[in-house]
Amino acid sequence: MRLVSCFFILGFLTLLLIITNLLFGAVSVPLDTIVDAFLDHTNPNHFTIHEYRFPRIIIALLVGAMMALAGALVQGVIRNPLASPDILGVSHGAGLAAVIYMTFFPDAAIEWLPLVALLGSFLAAIVLWRLCGQHSTTVKLAITGVALAALYASCVDFLMLVKPLEINNALLWLTGSLWGRGWTQLSLLLPWLVLIPAALWLAKPLNLIHLGDEHATSLGTHTNAVRLAALAIAVGLTASCVAICGPIGFLGLVAPHLTRKLVGGRHQALLPATMLVGAILLLLADLVARTIDPPIELPAGIMTAIIGAPYFLWLLLRSK
Amino acid sequence: MKRWLSVILSTYFILVSFTATAVTVEDSKGLFTLDYQPKRIVVLEFSFADALAAVDVSPVGIADDKEADRVLKEVRDVIGSWTSVGTRSQPSMEVIASLKPDLIIADISRHEAVYADLQKIAPTLILPSRRETYEDSLKAAAIIGKVIGKDQAMQARLQQHRKTMAQYAQQLPQKIEVQFGVARDDALFLHTKDSYAGGVIHALGLANAETGRDDTAYRQTGLEQLVAINPEYLIIGNYVTPSIIDKWRNEPLFSVLQAARQNHIYQVNPNTWSRCRGIMAAERMSQDLVDILVP
Amino acid sequence: MLLISWLSLFTWSSITISPLDALQALYQFDQDSIAQHIVRDLRLPRVLVALLVGACLAAAGVIMQGLTLNPLASPSVLGVNAGAALGMALVSTITPWFGLLGTTVAAMIGGGLAWSLVMLLGSGWRTGNEQGRLVLAGVAISALCAALTKALVIIEEDQASAVITWLAGSLTDARWQTFDAFWPVAVVGLLGASLLSPSLNLLQLGDDNARNLGVSIGCVKLIGSFLVLLLVGASLGAVGSISFVGLLVPHMAKLLIGQDHRRFLPIAILLGASLVALADTLSRAIIFPMETPAGAILALIGAPFFIYLVRKKTL
Repeated sequence: MRLVSCFFILGFLTLLLIITNLLFGAVSVPLDTIVDAFLDHTNPNHFTIHEYRFPRIIIALLVGAMMALAGALVQGVIRNPLASPDILGVSHGAGLAAVIYMTFFPDAAIEWLPLVALLGSFLAAIVLWRLCGQHSTTVKLAITGVALAALYASCVDFLMLVKPLEINNALLWLTGSLWGRGWTQLSLLLPWLVLIPAALWLAKPLNLIHLGDEHATSLGTHTNAVRLAALAIAVGLTASCVAICGPIGFLGLVAPHLTRKLVGGRHQALLPATMLVGAILLLLADLVARTIDPPIELPAGIMTAIIGAPYFLWLLLRSK
Repeated sequence: MKRWLSVILSTYFILVSFTATAVTVEDSKGLFTLDYQPKRIVVLEFSFADALAAVDVSPVGIADDKEADRVLKEVRDVIGSWTSVGTRSQPSMEVIASLKPDLIIADISRHEAVYADLQKIAPTLILPSRRETYEDSLKAAAIIGKVIGKDQAMQARLQQHRKTMAQYAQQLPQKIEVQFGVARDDALFLHTKDSYAGGVIHALGLANAETGRDDTAYRQTGLEQLVAINPEYLIIGNYVTPSIIDKWRNEPLFSVLQAARQNHIYQVNPNTWSRCRGIMAAERMSQDLVDILVP
Repeated sequence: MLLISWLSLFTWSSITISPLDALQALYQFDQDSIAQHIVRDLRLPRVLVALLVGACLAAAGVIMQGLTLNPLASPSVLGVNAGAALGMALVSTITPWFGLLGTTVAAMIGGGLAWSLVMLLGSGWRTGNEQGRLVLAGVAISALCAALTKALVIIEEDQASAVITWLAGSLTDARWQTFDAFWPVAVVGLLGASLLSPSLNLLQLGDDNARNLGVSIGCVKLIGSFLVLLLVGASLGAVGSISFVGLLVPHMAKLLIGQDHRRFLPIAILLGASLVALADTLSRAIIFPMETPAGAILALIGAPFFIYLVRKKTL
């Protein structure tokens, strides 16, 4: 019963945020004209609603959900609530690829950036896989990922210092932003949605893993295969999101953590709920980023940090 | 009869001017065609506002980082009021759309990623601005002049600009070494000969200091390297006071600099010198240099 | 170490400085020589600060690894650097409130808070605990601090360059004032560390054994933590964020000399000092005549070593 009401409230919040995001911004659009503005090409707000806010909201929704889901998967596999997709080094790999692209090919077309970032993430995942091999423990995997992330991060810092001209563009990208993301980026994101049902399908085996390896094996779960599948899906989810928006600050860490307090640790409930929480967080962050001081736009990644950080700390301290 | 003639003549002229405004220019993304004279222009960099102001055209919106003072005063005096469309790095597309522009002028370095979106709002002319050289900036101004149907006026203004610069150059001592840099509280960035300020200094017949490696337009410089570069005149734009230059003043090594020994360190407005760029900005900078260097 | 310092005094300068100038500046100072001015006013304090920073960070790394019995414990991995950066960023962007504090104190407070959080969350005080847990806590807190720091940098754009320079950890602006403010704290910290080293040895035997041998564990841990904060805070305050020295150097020292803290602490201190001085010398060479901050170079050296360490140690 509590679960149902939780989902209901989360769903309601998401819907509410979608509508608020449509209404407000640097220019406010009256509620009763939204449908008209969306459909009618001659409506004065057609561009704002149809070309700008709507695709951006959908991207926020999807990216928030996917990052949170990736976080929940990683936390499930590593069995530590402090783990996040960051520790796979994937987003840092994407960041490094993007910064290399921006600094060494400043004249190259910016349209290729998502692809370059995607390539970087997958390369990072492959490197991690090569270093750890199939039989290493999850903790070792996590720490190797952390070490790799540190390596990529130091390369990024180095490049930004050696080629300071691009520092602003790169910094903006590295903070994660939804500015200027539209239908094109949305269409790039859509194919990756197939990973969501795949992840949800893993909910049950992930629960068993939580009981400990022996239990899981005796219940007929191939723990290694499940772990591998979950991590691979997490990599795919993170990589696609990072490619579109840049690394959105620790959404994947906070959202599952928050959700666990709401619906408990069972993955059947946790995974879908965390997607809603992630979407809510990012929608809220983007709303604040756009409306706090219009027409100035802040990167949404900053807002996720500012909104998420205090709450995350409070949760951590309380749970101790 | 006379009245008829004037009507015919004016219709003819209107027709001619109509066909004449269908211009095609080459911008950073290829050919750009506009078949009307734009009335509501939104610019996303200061140098473009400068180019419009140079031929008495006022933009309806400027990406001014929400700080109107960042637009050069001379430009502000010409263009009157405008609507801020947010930061130059992430201008608000909603505000741009709400201004119903019929031309947007964007910067290839900052706005390439949203070029397609801008095109959906209005025809978008995309030109280099950030990291442009002095000559690039004049070229961009000429292109803007064509697109807004003020080709002749812009050419005339550019010629006048060259003349003005030549006059300034005559007043200034020749071949002395002038180095511009912006100072923050813990860093000094020199603008080398490849930068916009370096180009203006060169255009005035002054020499840029030799800074070694020449693949960077803006270079963070420590005291040790500054001593090595040792320019005759040091022009500093302080973003904060006291800046790092004021800290360095107390160090014995600073007095080794010939600019320091001869009191040839001067302050200018860092915004004018490093952010604005454009015809009027270059003239303002030249005036600053004349004020400084001509006793 | 002496050799590197001497090299560092004259190599890769925009102005030609001869090896001889470097020595003369120390013994027979010539007022009129620019080269000797540079050596005396810029290079010498810079080298000394580099040496001290290296020594402090290495000592801090040794203490942290000794206290937690975790080979990966070090200021950068356990969030002290990120916390200090956040403290520093807060002070330099929201000056009206915190202006009184000064960046060094702010860096120390920030680093201290971050570290306590990490130890609390990662149950770092309990020995025999999963070591990965501590590292994960460190990473999470680092991510948190880094995100907030980045937010501050982008919001307060005008102060951004100060924070970015600080984060990069450059010795370019290390002068005599820096050294004067820095060395008393550093010396106290280093002396404290060497006094603590026998107790650290005993801690390695496990809490129960150590207690039986008459070590007050709580006391050692408290003093150790305080020393770490002192050492790291002072170094970060002096030159900015320098990472991986604390991780790398203790392991190098252990390889050279073995497990005895009394012996390998001094070696680690010397190694750390040489490493940072070397990195600083390199920092002038890579894109000569421009400088690359030493912190960035150390990170480039340190990060692969971190990976190597993770792979080698059976966790």
